[in-house]
Amino acid sequence: MVYSVDLRWGMHAEQFFLKNFLGVTSSPLILGGIRIPVLLSLIAIWVCIFLILYKGVKRIGKVVALTVPIPTILLIILTIRGLTLPGSIEGISYYLTPNFSQLLNAKVWLAAYAQVFFSLGLAQGIMITYASFLKKKSDITNNAIITSLADAGTSFFAGFTVFSIVDYLAASQGVGIENLGIAGPYLIFVTYPTAISLLPIAALFGVIFYIALLTFGIDSAFSMIEPITSGIHSKWKITKAKATAIMCTLGFFASLIFTTGSGMYWLEMLDHFISNFGLVAVGLVECLILGWVFNLHRLREHANKTSDVLIGRWWDVLIKFVIPAILIILLVASVVDNIMNPYMGYPWWIILICGLAPVLFIFLLAFILMKIKGNRVKT
Amino acid sequence: MTLSLSAIAMLVFGSVVLYGGLVYFLYRALKGRKK
Repeated sequence: MVYSVDLRWGMHAEQFFLKNFLGVTSSPLILGGIRIPVLLSLIAIWVCIFLILYKGVKRIGKVVALTVPIPTILLIILTIRGLTLPGSIEGISYYLTPNFSQLLNAKVWLAAYAQVFFSLGLAQGIMITYASFLKKKSDITNNAIITSLADAGTSFFAGFTVFSIVDYLAASQGVGIENLGIAGPYLIFVTYPTAISLLPIAALFGVIFYIALLTFGIDSAFSMIEPITSGIHSKWKITKAKATAIMCTLGFFASLIFTTGSGMYWLEMLDHFISNFGLVAVGLVECLILGWVFNLHRLREHANKTSDVLIGRWWDVLIKFVIPAILIILLVASVVDNIMNPYMGYPWWIILICGLAPVLFIFLLAFILMKIKGNRVKT
Repeated sequence: MTLSLSAIAMLVFGSVVLYGGLVYFLYRALKGRKK
């Protein structure tokens, strides 16, 4: 965001981002030292998360009242600007034209499931924690539908923002959209800055874009930390401020790896394994426990008591049979695919250390924390 | 260049389901709150 004021990356965003800013090394195991600008950003983010969370849910409500509408308004401004650029219709056409043959591709389904899990905060405890703050008579079903539709609607709209501007860049460089990087960090830090440089009043649009990105990012970050701090707070009778301070300190030290020259590799690998395996596996375990251990119809009856949108028996069938079956098939297909084609062509030992070990560590840590006897706060 | 028919169909389908659905359920929530 700071660099967008004077468009420091110029017309060589890739070189600026990967070499000058991140100092990317040649392998994930060559750390290459801590990058000070990235470290300062990391400190700023963790301080923000602490300040938002330590006073509890009331402050979260106030922050969200600002951090949700602001980026949405900024997205609308960027989309209007994007749609007025030459070549924007080609980009939109590329975005909207369906390719139904991809429906037979298991990788696409797994990526879609991972995206929905990540975007809605499923299998991360986020929904369970926020739902615990609701009043007893809240309409859970309608809230869930509104949340899902608003989330998918924002993603659908953000697609127009991205593809209208990305095509402008493709047209300027004389290449097709398919040859541009339009996924992950590459989109945010290489493709988009280059596209922004080509716009009139580029600095203004650069600042707008990165403010939107920052506010969306902070929203996601504190919602992921909140379930853990709430858990610690209620299990060990620690004050909310203390629980938040512990989690933010641990989170800061754990994320120091991302400030090194190899941080980009670690980020991509962890994102790949946690999104594609970790979240889907946790979702599967949640469905199995809820469907086969917990008395599922009691949950449905409770939701139906407080909602005018009634859930039928089909929901039990989905949780017990359909969703677990789909997730198992997708997981098996993905494991086989990852064995046949190792991620990014890395050797197996790197994938084990950087990808699978953190996923297994999360499961192990969750199990240990569950087994430790707590000191519950009466709520 | 104009949008193809399938792209227009996706645009209409996405907009009706997502934004139409969102408006409808928000309306139901507001109506329920008034009661």
